[in-house]
Formats: sequence, structure tokens, C-alpha cells
Amino acid sequence: MNIENTEKAWEPKILAFLCNWCSYAGADLAGISRMQYPPNIRVVRVPCSGRINPYFILKALQKGWDGVLVSGCHPGDCHYISGNLVARRRFAVLKDLLEYLGIEPERVNFSWISAAEGEKFVEVVKNVVEKIKAIGPAERLVKR
Amino acid sequence: MVEKSKISKLIKDLSKEHEVFAPVKRKGLVSFKRVSEGDETCLGFQNTKKPPKEILFPQTQTLFTFKVDKNGVEIDESPTTNRKMVLLGVRPCDARSFALVDRFFSSGEFKDPYYLRMRENAAIVGLACSHPSSTCFCMSVGGSPIGKEGADILLVDLGDSYMMETISEKGEKLIGKLPWLKDAQNIDMEKTRKLRVEAEKAVQSKVPVEGLSKKLDGIFEDSLWERLREKCVNCAVCTYLCPTCYCFDILDEEADGGRRVRIWDSCQFSFFTAQGSGHNPRPSGKEMMRQRVMHKFNYCVKNFGENFCVGCGRCVRECPANLDLREVIEKISSAEIR
Amino acid sequence: MNAIENSIREIAKQLLCEKKVESIIGYEQGRIPLRSTPCFVDRVEDVQRLVWNATCDINLAKYLTGRKGKTAIIAKGCDARSIAVLLNEKQIAREKVFIIGVPCTGIVDRKKVEEKLEGKEIFDAAVESETIILRGEGYQSTLPKKDLLCNSCVTCKYKNPPVCDVFVGTKTLESTEVDEFSQILPIESESAEKRWEHFKEELGNCLRCYACRNVCPLCYCKVCFVDQTTPEWFGRTNELSDTMIYHLVRAFHLAGRCVNCGACSRACPMNIDLSELMKKIEKIVKERFNHEAGISAEKTPPLGEFKMNDPQEFIK
Repeated sequence: MNIENTEKAWEPKILAFLCNWCSYAGADLAGISRMQYPPNIRVVRVPCSGRINPYFILKALQKGWDGVLVSGCHPGDCHYISGNLVARRRFAVLKDLLEYLGIEPERVNFSWISAAEGEKFVEVVKNVVEKIKAIGPAERLVKR
Repeated sequence: MVEKSKISKLIKDLSKEHEVFAPVKRKGLVSFKRVSEGDETCLGFQNTKKPPKEILFPQTQTLFTFKVDKNGVEIDESPTTNRKMVLLGVRPCDARSFALVDRFFSSGEFKDPYYLRMRENAAIVGLACSHPSSTCFCMSVGGSPIGKEGADILLVDLGDSYMMETISEKGEKLIGKLPWLKDAQNIDMEKTRKLRVEAEKAVQSKVPVEGLSKKLDGIFEDSLWERLREKCVNCAVCTYLCPTCYCFDILDEEADGGRRVRIWDSCQFSFFTAQGSGHNPRPSGKEMMRQRVMHKFNYCVKNFGENFCVGCGRCVRECPANLDLREVIEKISSAEIR
Repeated sequence: MNAIENSIREIAKQLLCEKKVESIIGYEQGRIPLRSTPCFVDRVEDVQRLVWNATCDINLAKYLTGRKGKTAIIAKGCDARSIAVLLNEKQIAREKVFIIGVPCTGIVDRKKVEEKLEGKEIFDAAVESETIILRGEGYQSTLPKKDLLCNSCVTCKYKNPPVCDVFVGTKTLESTEVDEFSQILPIESESAEKRWEHFKEELGNCLRCYACRNVCPLCYCKVCFVDQTTPEWFGRTNELSDTMIYHLVRAFHLAGRCVNCGACSRACPMNIDLSELMKKIEKIVKERFNHEAGISAEKTPPLGEFKMNDPQEFIK
């Protein structure tokens, strides 16, 4: 049997910031429950979605990550009471601004995923990977 | 002599062996851009926004790239290989600035290969001024609107055509590649002589630079700097637009391996003198603004024998607070020092 | 010399004589045509230098942060709003500043003037109430002032200072019909691709001189994110990627704080119209959080607070 040199189709690389108490636990639940989801995400665990500095997202885009996902606890459930509420405003402004500048809106994603929502985590990841596959590799902010 | 209508041909011919940079007007801004046809070239301007130093001393210049693999480190210096260039339409102040900046980059034990290599392979075609701006003060700092210092060829605007005067060997070689150029007639020489006198008279702004260096020696600690710096916002407009400012920083960046890149820096950034300990010997805008004046009119005089100012007037025109360097010099000149 | 200038000088004289303030920050005639320059007056004889006209372009509130002693300041509508934001953010103490409010009918955009004159040099300029008279080699032009105002001034809704200690002259009529975001509507309606190309071209010329940051009264951080190296947030080269990040982050940092005074656009030597970004930031904050910067001296910055029902349609 010939082993052909097949060129691997481009696979998006997505950076996911997951808050420790809810979203990371939710992702963990998905893993333990043996739910299948695309391997394109790389997870960074943060204590709270409020820890996310807009710079993190921008630096990721600059470095060539095809997409970013930031996920935290549902409003009202934050382990630190209001971290996600403060972050919500920040994310809104950042997303609107990035979109205005012309960065594809599919590249930056936000979600609220609780520790019990393993299924939702899988859905969100599948959805994000699919959307980014459709728009191609990141180019606009990438520093060459 | 070259007719104005033939400038396009001039550029095309020079482009055969050189990269030609000439002033181009885009969105109301005139700046030096690479041209291959003469179409966009605009030689009817007072001066470009950015000085031509950005061509030979780019704002962001990759010095080399490197890759690390199991065999070791591989360094690629090709970004800085020899490029033959012609800078066309450089005003005498800017041409003179190259002569000054050359001294800096070639002084001392370690000569800067990145700048000098480009400089050696670049020919400067100056364009004499017939209508100096009211903010030009080249005559006060040792320059002239029809000055030849730093240029290889000088073009003088005679109405329908330019008188081309070769100044250096490089200039002669360049002219040699253009056999279709007409010879200058006596009448052209006369016109040029007249223009010379008129242009120098037309530089109205006079700045008292005589004895400034010595005066500055004694006033470093004087309280007059508090007054002088009051409206300065310490941005980098004056330093970046100055043809004789050459401070830079060198960064190593990660990029598929990595690269070492040189970028413009400015004494007006507080980061410029920030030390690892956290101490900053120039803690406020006063020290930074004072530094600029001292450097240009005192330290450089001591190090290189000249004021590092060519009187182009860009800092005067573009300062967001309209802090006029000429006024600063006037105030220092007339200040009584106890 | 107009009546308002007279009144300003009178008030300034009075304040200094009565030792109510230690210095006054105002404007004086610039050294080149069509320019004004900041003027710091602490002696009574210097009050004669103070002027007020449509070339008074820099936002003087810039000079208030870190200033010692009580200071009086000439403030047009937008400048007074910047002062209100500085007060909200506790950067200056209310009792340390005496705000002399002045009516404003817009500031002249020198870049628009240059464009109209096709680059011809101006030898002198006179700014009248409705016109600007320019004289240069071989020409004299009288141009209507309203066509040459800065973009931020064209859609200005707060021509009179909302907060001041004394107001000089008569209040300017506020425009009730103006759509303050009309400038960015054409950009918003384009596709993402076109918008990217537009900003690539616009911001590609950026010199990274930080004039925009340095003239902004609200950029007062002792260590700006640009100068942080531990960690280094982005490169200091002038390549497009780094430049985009700089402008994006600066706009983000000014969300809910920028009053669109236009000083940044006027300061830019490369003719970049930053109001295209700043207007958008203003719109985002207004539509999402119903906040307008600097209207009153007692409001929390929008990114410093939250509400349980904040819009979250973008969150999955």
C-alpha cells in the first residue's frame, strides 16, 4: 500500500480562556463524560472571566490564533460575585470595536458555561470551530 | 539641464538600475515613496512631511532574522543587503542632514553598517528651494536654500526645466547614465546665479544660534527651563519629523524563529531613560525637553562640531502645542544668567 | 480683539489680583498663522496675551493633571467636559480648579484649510465670526468658517460648558437636530472587508509619535501600556499590526471617557482622522450603557460599573 503524502487541510487553532470555577469545570465534565468535540481548542485556565484583559485577546490575534473563546460563569453565579459582570461590559465594547475595525466577528467569541453544562461546552466549541473553518485562517491583525 | 516634462523619463531611466524614491502626494500629504514612473511625483512642494531620513534609516528595519533548530542557530542577514537607491527631490536642508547624520553613524570605533551600507549605495538628488517657507531658518544654522552639502546632484528650478549641477563622483556617474540630458547654456547659469541670491534673501526667519552652545553650558540647572517646557506635551512629533534626529532602539521579536529589529526611539518618551531599577534620571517633561535642546545645540556641537539642526522648520509647523523651537532659542539667547 | 477676550482678561486680572488663583491656563496668539498656543499666566501684566477664537485648538485640560496650586482654566464646551471626567476620576480636586467657561462655535481644522488652498503657504490669517481670511503669495481668500471646522465640531452637541465657575459672554445655540454619529454611518454600513481596508489605509500612515495620546487630557497614566515591558503587550514598531493594536487599545481605554474634543485628530501630523474611531467608541457606550462622558461632574465611568441587565446578545 502506498503511503501518499497528503497535505493536511488547514485546521483552525482556537485559544479558549475558561474561568476556573464554571467553564473549566464544564469542559472537564465534557471530557469525563467522554463527549467528542473538535481538538482545535487550546485551553488557558483563569480564575475568573474578569481576569481577561482585552490585551490577551488582541495578543492572541496578533500571534496568529485563528479564533479566541472566552467563557465564564453565568451572571449572578460568579465565584467572585461580580467578576463576570464587570467583564461583560468590557467584552461588549471590545467586540463592537473589533468588528467596526473590520476584524471578522466570528474570531472573538464569548459564552457563559456553568460547571454542569458539559454539553453546552461541546456545542459552543463545535459551533466556534465550524464558523472559523468557514472564514479561513486569521490574517488581518497577524504580525508577520 | 532636464525639462520638467522629462522628469518621468529621468525616473524611468534611473529605475533600470536603482530604486528611485521621490516625493508623492497622497491624501494631502507629500512624502517620499518608491516610484518607477514619474506620474505621481510631485516636485512642486515646499517640503515633505516626513524627512527622507526614513528611506536610509527606516523607522522599522529588520537587521537579521534567525532560526533555531537541532543544528544550532541560523542567521539570515539578507534584509540588509546592498540596495542601490536614488533619492530624488531632497531639499538642501534634508540633504545637509545626511551629511550630519553620516558623522554620527560613522563615528567612533563601531561604525553602523546598516545605515552606512544603504548610504553608500544611495545617490541624493537635491532640489533647491525657490520659495522657502516662513518657518524655514536654514540660513541661521549653516545651511542654504540652494546648498549643496550632502547632495550628489542639485536641481535648480528655472521655470520650464531644472538646472542639474553635479557635486560628487556619485552624481557624475549617475548623470553618465542619462546621455540625453541637455547641456546648460550661459543663460541658464545666469538664471541660477540670480535665483541663488533671491532664494537666500527669501529665508526671512533668523534665529540667534551664535554662541548658543556656550550659553547652554551654563544654564543646565537654570529655572528658565520650567517656563520653556510648560506647553510641551512630550510627544515624539519633533523628534520623528526631525531630519537630524537618529535615536533608535533595538528589539528582538519572536517571529517564526525570530528577528532583530531596529526602530526609531525618542528622547521624549519617558521609557527612553527608564532603568531596570525603576529609576529614571529624566523623570519629567522638563528634563526631556531640555535634553532635546541641549543635544541639538550643545552636545552635538561638542561631539561633531555642528549644531544638529538644519532649519527645516518641521518641528515648528507640526508641534501640537505650537511650541516654537526658534522662540526657545531666542529666549535662551536673551536670558540673563546669574 | 473681541468682547469675550476683554472679559477673559478682566476675569483673569481679577483672579490674580485677589489671589484667588495662582495661575491661569489659556490661549495666546501662535507663532505661525492660524495657530494658537497654550499660555500660562501668573503675572497680572501677562493677561493681555490671552485670546479666544476659532484657532484655540489644544485641549487645555491636559495641563491640569499634576499641576500644583489653584489654577484657572479657559474651557470651551468639550474641554469642560474633559475636566468633568477628570473630576469624576478623582484626578484633580474641584477646589483646585476655577473653570472659566467660554462659548464655542467650532475650531478650524488646519488640514481642511490646507486642502482648500492646495498646499499654498499662508502668510497671515484672520478669523472672523463667519469667515476666515487667508493671505499668501499671490492670493487672498475669504472662506466660510463653517466648511472648515473639525469633524468633531461639526456634530458637536455641547457647545457650552456643562460645568464651570463663571461663563463669559452669551451661550451658543446648541444644535438639537444634529446626528452626532453621522460621520461614522458610512463606515458602519460597509462590509467588514471594506472597513478593514479603510482603516488599513487610514492608520497605515501612523508615525507612532503618540501625539494623539499626549495631547489627550484623559491619557494621564504614569506608565502607559505602550511603555510596559513586563509583559510587553505589543511591539513598538510602526508595522500595521502593532499600529492597529495601539489605536484599538487606546480607543478601548477611552471608552466612556472620551468627549470627542478632536484634539487628537488635530495633533496628528499624518492627517489621520481619529474621530472615526473615537466617535464609534462614543456610540458603543451610549447605545449599550446610555452614558455620555463629561455631562455632569458626578458620574461613574461606565467601564467601572455594571448593571444586572447589561446587554449580552453577543454572548452564547
